[in-house]
Amino acid sequence: MTGGSLAPSAATGVALPGISRLGRIRRLRRPSILRGFVWLYLVWSLAPVALAILFSFNSGSSVTEWQGFSLRWYVGDPYYSVLHDPALHQAVIQTVRLAVLTTVVAVPIGVLFAIGVHRWRSRQASAWTFVMLLAFVMPELIFGVGIFLLLTNLLTFIRLGTTAQFLALVAWNISWPAIIVRARLQSIGAHYEEAARDLGASATGAIRRVLLPLLFPAIFASVVLVFAGVIDDFVIVDLLSSNAQSEPMSVIIYTLGAHGGSAAAPALNALATVMLVMSIVTVAAGWAVYRRLTRGERRRDEGLSLGPLTGA
Amino acid sequence: MAGGTVTLNDLTKRFGSQCAVDGICAEITGGEFFSLLGPSGCGKTTTLRMLAGFEEPTSGAIVLDGADVTHLPPNKRRVNTVFQHYALFPFLDVRANVAFGLRYQHCSKKEVSQRVGEALDLVELGPYHGRRPAQLSGGQQQRVALARALVLRPSVLLLDEPLGALDARMRRTLQVELKALQERVGITFIYVTHDQSEALTMSDRIAVMNRGRIVQVGRPRAVYDEPADAYVADFLGVSNLMDAVVRTPGSAARPCAVMAGDFELEARGGVVDATGLVRLAIRPERVTLHGYRESVANAIPGLVERTVFLGSATQVMVHLAAGVTIQALVANGSEAASWPAGTPVQACLPPAALRVLPCDPAANPVEQAAAVPAGAVRPAP
Repeated sequence: MTGGSLAPSAATGVALPGISRLGRIRRLRRPSILRGFVWLYLVWSLAPVALAILFSFNSGSSVTEWQGFSLRWYVGDPYYSVLHDPALHQAVIQTVRLAVLTTVVAVPIGVLFAIGVHRWRSRQASAWTFVMLLAFVMPELIFGVGIFLLLTNLLTFIRLGTTAQFLALVAWNISWPAIIVRARLQSIGAHYEEAARDLGASATGAIRRVLLPLLFPAIFASVVLVFAGVIDDFVIVDLLSSNAQSEPMSVIIYTLGAHGGSAAAPALNALATVMLVMSIVTVAAGWAVYRRLTRGERRRDEGLSLGPLTGA
Repeated sequence: MAGGTVTLNDLTKRFGSQCAVDGICAEITGGEFFSLLGPSGCGKTTTLRMLAGFEEPTSGAIVLDGADVTHLPPNKRRVNTVFQHYALFPFLDVRANVAFGLRYQHCSKKEVSQRVGEALDLVELGPYHGRRPAQLSGGQQQRVALARALVLRPSVLLLDEPLGALDARMRRTLQVELKALQERVGITFIYVTHDQSEALTMSDRIAVMNRGRIVQVGRPRAVYDEPADAYVADFLGVSNLMDAVVRTPGSAARPCAVMAGDFELEARGGVVDATGLVRLAIRPERVTLHGYRESVANAIPGLVERTVFLGSATQVMVHLAAGVTIQALVANGSEAASWPAGTPVQACLPPAALRVLPCDPAANPVEQAAAVPAGAVRPAP
């Protein structure tokens, strides 16, 4: 029991000699079978990804035999590289386009939704919050098929393709900013805004000069999550794509990888690596900026920092 | 900066069926340090929030310097607030926090800089202007909040338990500073607190509130020495209270004769012409103890239960033959009287210090009963 409660302090490196000694004792006692299991799990889950990344840098066209390092599948090959194959090239553009468009539209709407519902304070408001939460548990496939049927049967003036993908992605991703910003609004409370009003700011002035800066970390976190989420999205964009022009990276990798096609396998690995790096960079940069933004708050007031992102 | 008179006219606020503030009337003169004192839930903060403009009164009016401001939004009132939890903007440094409201007064850059500097000097925070609120101590944050409000030169400054979040020592220091500051700037301060010593230390006048009403308004000395009823007596520090029956009602010239148990006492304070059941109140420091065999007027015999050394004084609990325990505060002077437990004594309750209060069981502050030390008199079980 005691060892268990001491382990976290040993892990965070608290410089208390007695405790760290106890922590070391505890580490020695840890069953090695668990450690082996963790390593097995990591290898099992990450090895395919690592191999795909590795062979995207292969100079030959094999995905099993290493023939030397090259950037052939990214930029070098005049026909099959990500840069020169029109399908792959277009997929990167389409992904970035959808990610930017969706983020720019979904985040402001989600933020306004959160502020509105927060002010509203009624049974209806909590019903709307519940609807937002529902989006988290609803299977994406159900949502995607629903939108697909809606657009192909009822709203036929909206063509499948970028517009349809964009509209569906916005609807699907509004929940992120709505939930995150609302959580932050609740921890901020009303007193900062009241202070601003008291000092002479109008209602909108208080929102602009006080509430938005306070919400900025949450808004920024939403931007990161929505952006990375769209990059990773497959179900919605696949269902609502119309032709090769509107197929983003995930769809290309799936169709060409699973069913074979004109593109070379290492080039698909390269595309997958691009996609992975995009997501990781977005989230990592977001996390770093978020830590910076909330630096002053975390020191004193844990209540103001946002659990989902800092809590790790 | 002149002006700052506030009139509350039958101010009422209901939340649903609950009446938080129940028809408050008050006249606060310009430059006054006026405290609203009461336990939590007595309506003092709601009153302050109505003054600031955060709550719309259900009925009644707030008049500020002759103008009705009852329905004006907070930003249209020359009233500023110092919040209990400061509400400093965490993303701005001290200077920007203090300058926040000046934007709405259309000051030139030079004037902003000058006034912010003056305000920070006033609260002795000049060297800290570049820090973020999170880098300041609680007391320093409180000063920033004060500077942020005072820099706008309001007619009235509202303070909502501004010292509540500070430790006892810091609180005592800031109490004195706050009073000195108020006298220097000459602005009307309306101060909400549940701490009676804070209110007594700083206020020009105190309004004691209970259940959404003002029970008594007066100077600290008057409220302390001449509480209007048992509630006020009890709330303003420890007071000995005991039940009694009036035998002969008194008048301005004649003391009221009452029976406390089997003992007849004379009382000159309070409602001397009351009849029937009353409560008697006396401050511990006014009770004097005498040897059992001495002949003392207006005294009740009793046994010393225990004594508590408090430093400058000794608190002596005496269980009276009238069936109650009272507290006497004996100064630890040169002839330090010693009253070991079990000593039979006579507790003298001087008529001038003994107050007759109307017996209103509804006004008896139940929530205070537990908080008051054992010295306060309760009917023996």
